[in-house]
Amino acid sequence: MSDYAINTANKKKQKQKFTINRRQYTFGVIGLSILILLSVLIASYALPDSNIATNLNAKNLEPSFDNIFGTDWLGRDMFTRTIKGLRLSVAVGALAATISVIIATILGMIASINDKCDLAVSWFIDLFLGMPHIVFLILISFALGGGVKGVVVGVAVTHWPTLTRIVRAEILQIKTSDYVKISRHMGKTSWYVATKHILPHIVPQLLIGYLLLFPHAILHEAAITFLGFGLSPHKPAIGIILSESMMYLSTGMWWLAFFPGLALIIVVKLFDVIGENLKMLYDPSSAHE
Amino acid sequence: MNNNSVLTFIIKKVIRFTSLLFALCALSFVLISNSPIDPVKAYIGADMMNVGPEQRAKIEQYWGLDKPAHEQFLSWASAVARGDLGDSKIYRRPVIEIISERFAASLLLMGTAWTISGILGFILGIVSAVKKGSWIDKVIKWYCFVLASTPTFWLGLLLLIVFVVWLGILPIGLAVPAGVLKTDVTLADKLMHFILPALTLSILGVANMAMHTRTKLIEVLNSDYVLFAKARGESDWEIVKNHGIRNIALPAITLQFAYFGELFGGSILAEKIFSYPGLGSAITEAGLRADVPLLLGIVLFSAIFVFSGNLIADILYKVVDPRMRGISAS
Amino acid sequence: MRKFQAGLLAVVFLLTSILLGGCKQNSSDINESSTQRPKDELLLAIGSEPEGGFDPINGWGRYGSPLFQSTLLKRDQNMDIVMDLAKAYEVSEDSLSWTVIIREDVKFSDGSNLTSDDVVFTYDTLLNSASSIDMTFMESVEKIDDYTIKFNLKTPRSTFISNLVATGIVPKNLYSGEYYQNPIGSGPFILKQWDKGQQIIVESNPLYYGQKPQFNKITFLFLEEDAAFAAAKAGQIDMTSIPPSYASQKIEGMKIVEVDSVDNRGIMFPVVKSNEVDSDSSPVGNDVTADKAIREALNIAVDRQEIVDGVLEGYGTAAHSICEGLPWWNEETVIEDGNIDMAKKVLADSGWIDLDSDGYLEKDSVKAEFNLVYPSGDQLRQSLAMVVSDMVKPIGIKINIEAKTWDEIEGVLHKDAILMGWGSHDPLEMYNVYSSNMKGIEWYNPGYYENKKVDEYMDKALQAKTEEEANEYWKKAQWDGETGLSGKGDVPWVWLVNRSHIYLMKDNLDIGSPQIQPHGHGWPLTSNIEQWKWID
Repeated sequence: MSDYAINTANKKKQKQKFTINRRQYTFGVIGLSILILLSVLIASYALPDSNIATNLNAKNLEPSFDNIFGTDWLGRDMFTRTIKGLRLSVAVGALAATISVIIATILGMIASINDKCDLAVSWFIDLFLGMPHIVFLILISFALGGGVKGVVVGVAVTHWPTLTRIVRAEILQIKTSDYVKISRHMGKTSWYVATKHILPHIVPQLLIGYLLLFPHAILHEAAITFLGFGLSPHKPAIGIILSESMMYLSTGMWWLAFFPGLALIIVVKLFDVIGENLKMLYDPSSAHE
Repeated sequence: MNNNSVLTFIIKKVIRFTSLLFALCALSFVLISNSPIDPVKAYIGADMMNVGPEQRAKIEQYWGLDKPAHEQFLSWASAVARGDLGDSKIYRRPVIEIISERFAASLLLMGTAWTISGILGFILGIVSAVKKGSWIDKVIKWYCFVLASTPTFWLGLLLLIVFVVWLGILPIGLAVPAGVLKTDVTLADKLMHFILPALTLSILGVANMAMHTRTKLIEVLNSDYVLFAKARGESDWEIVKNHGIRNIALPAITLQFAYFGELFGGSILAEKIFSYPGLGSAITEAGLRADVPLLLGIVLFSAIFVFSGNLIADILYKVVDPRMRGISAS
Repeated sequence: MRKFQAGLLAVVFLLTSILLGGCKQNSSDINESSTQRPKDELLLAIGSEPEGGFDPINGWGRYGSPLFQSTLLKRDQNMDIVMDLAKAYEVSEDSLSWTVIIREDVKFSDGSNLTSDDVVFTYDTLLNSASSIDMTFMESVEKIDDYTIKFNLKTPRSTFISNLVATGIVPKNLYSGEYYQNPIGSGPFILKQWDKGQQIIVESNPLYYGQKPQFNKITFLFLEEDAAFAAAKAGQIDMTSIPPSYASQKIEGMKIVEVDSVDNRGIMFPVVKSNEVDSDSSPVGNDVTADKAIREALNIAVDRQEIVDGVLEGYGTAAHSICEGLPWWNEETVIEDGNIDMAKKVLADSGWIDLDSDGYLEKDSVKAEFNLVYPSGDQLRQSLAMVVSDMVKPIGIKINIEAKTWDEIEGVLHKDAILMGWGSHDPLEMYNVYSSNMKGIEWYNPGYYENKKVDEYMDKALQAKTEEEANEYWKKAQWDGETGLSGKGDVPWVWLVNRSHIYLMKDNLDIGSPQIQPHGHGWPLTSNIEQWKWID
């Protein structure tokens, strides 16, 4: 072979050594995201509570090695507040999202029973979709007296419609597919069909929907706390920190508003990334959007 | 197109609209009555001592508090149907008055945000789709990606600091300049005061619209007839003009109308940050200070607003494009 | 396409630079226009919007100056009584009749004369409106002649003079349900425009009988604290009140003025045990706070100066009573605080021991733990609650902090400790807060405090013939050597701080010498608004 041919062949081999395919890349991204989120979770337990006790001698410190995000007006370490706040927000988001998913599954299944049920459920969906989320959240939070309960219920109750739609569509699709028809003809009960055919198929959808619900749930929790409903101002929660941001920005301590906000955005985005990538794994055609 | 079927469709939709509205009223009423707040106390508030017995009786009658639950709801609902939404506890004026005042301000805000996000989002979406894979596309995609998960209020705060405090070019808030008599306030003044809230609101809408448009346009651009047009020698922009826009205009407009809900929610946050006296800040106040008539009134109103948006979107979809029969857009 | 991209970039660049350039010009325009505001106009963001409007019958103007109306008497900067509408007043021998003679040259802003008819009308309406409990001691008010009024009291009331200071006179012929937004009065200003939720614009009243204010037009903005501060920073307003955390910011062209106040904050405790009192409203009593040792220990353990320095940035003073610095204040109520060891001893002596070594004390199987509630949205009270809670951990008391709205607080204020605040120019406040007659009424004495001796002293104070005599009794009620309502005595309240009112204003604005400020900053500052001026 000519030198030229040998060179290009070598180059090709070298290139091949370092390429990874799309699938591996996706797994990598998901793994990395999960890793980051886990470390946030671990950190939130590892960081001592004493960091967020009032410490009037350490007020308003700029970011430093000791206090990566600086301290606030009561001397509390902002980094610790942020991390613990993230955990709280994620927990609230998780709880709300779980309830939402359960509601969506149940309602999605009901919708697929027959046309009447479908109409009823669709009507329900429209009812809840019709309200701007924040308004509903305010209303529910007010009705339940605020606090964590109000926020969790509020967020759960406003987020199930979209997921229900997807679940309903999926179930309908499965039910009308050939293999299910055959299964029924073979005499299998509805329960069998439900558990053996439908459930396994919608579980991935549910998981993905759950993860994609997270960003919304967390952001809505932060928003409603920011407005003054929801969690108490002395608890570490991202929404609380952000509601204090006006004061921080006014007094020139922009880092106290910027970094927590950034942390929130990153965490939210990570959930989004995990969800989207899982969706791509499950349904590769969506990768081309 | 069969005019009859379109008409039936519209009528069906309107019926659905009304039934949903009614259900929402019922739901809200139930929620409020079950709240730990005593409605009469909430209604009268700190003035418990100020209010004479006749006044108190009038309030109880309005709410029908001495009657069983469903009768309460009916008496309230009939009052509402007559247009009597009661008096706001915070502002001491009929709720209707406050809503109409505040809505005018909010309308300006939301309308602008709506238009900007629609147009700008549309354009960005087109550019992104046409230039798919290029750096412009990457920039636009990245911009939307980031924006879609930025909390509205954080963005608003950032804008406040940059434009008001650092650059000092825009006023801090409110809807009219401070200290100026009503008659002297110009349109320009009003505009200056709502640029920032409008901007905050638009930014998110832009992201949504851009991404949606981009997806749809890419679909179109991948179709056969576009391939044929390319083969005929049409340039990229000609293709967009002749084939693209027609096909994506409808989904875009529909999306915009369905966007009313998000818009309203976003305005609640934006108005808080900029002290803008619109409907959004009114409902926040009403919720925080247990002003039940005002809260219910605004909830109703926002429901009407959003349902209308969805209704228009549905009708548009159906009426303008007969191929879409059977698929609801909301 | 390359050319196209380049072209697009160029256009974007051009547009941005035009925008920024044009905006820069606007910025200098705006800044100039703000300093170019006419010299006789003022733009302030100091108070919050009065919900009930500007009607004295509804409570407008009771703290500070009513702006649009006049009062019979006033207090000067040293808190001494001076004449306003009244030319002279006289109290009868038996203290049951107060006769007031008013000026004859006073006109309402619509030109009509102010006569004793209007005074009688004002006080009559106040008496009959269900709002004020404190007027029930008044039997009647009668017109003697066009410019003389006689108030007949059921019992002697030394604090009646505060009513004469606080009540703005409304015109009999122009009063209606709409008065609250159209407050015609005889005060130094008229209400020109009220943009609800945003601002009011007031103009100087040409018919005012007193010292003409230097400013012909004043706008009061109702802004959130942060927005007001941003506006001040941007040079758009002349004065705003700011919280301590902003005080360290240097803003060009503006200065910080600290005004002393009796605007206090403290912790109110339920002093009865749970289920000791019957109530059909909300639960009453708290087993932990009912134990005097707990309250006493807290009172001794907190370091008030540290709180003032840390939370208020030094803008305040320690508070050991409800009336620090006022003429009826008993200086003996000041104790040495910040003493953790003594606090521990008080608790141990009373039988509080940490049996299960969890860091917190127990007594009779009750844990030293209670809720401390603060109104959500009030950052100062939140900070105080948090700091106090952390300060008493070392002595073994566990405080659970809760945030609630005022509406929600109404449901728990008889069973939980609440971070509240008072501060008034009227010693009647002490009576309202500590008298056993006021147990459980509205926001007065929610802790169900009762001390017969204290009641006795306060009654004597009310019945006193002169302010001086009254003050002696007010002081005894706080501490007479053996018992009292202060920290040395029963400790039903643990007072923490008096917060100074901090105002950020233009360098050349002179607001004279303000009085010691009562609870609630903003409006009270305007009590000497006729004396405000620019320093050239």
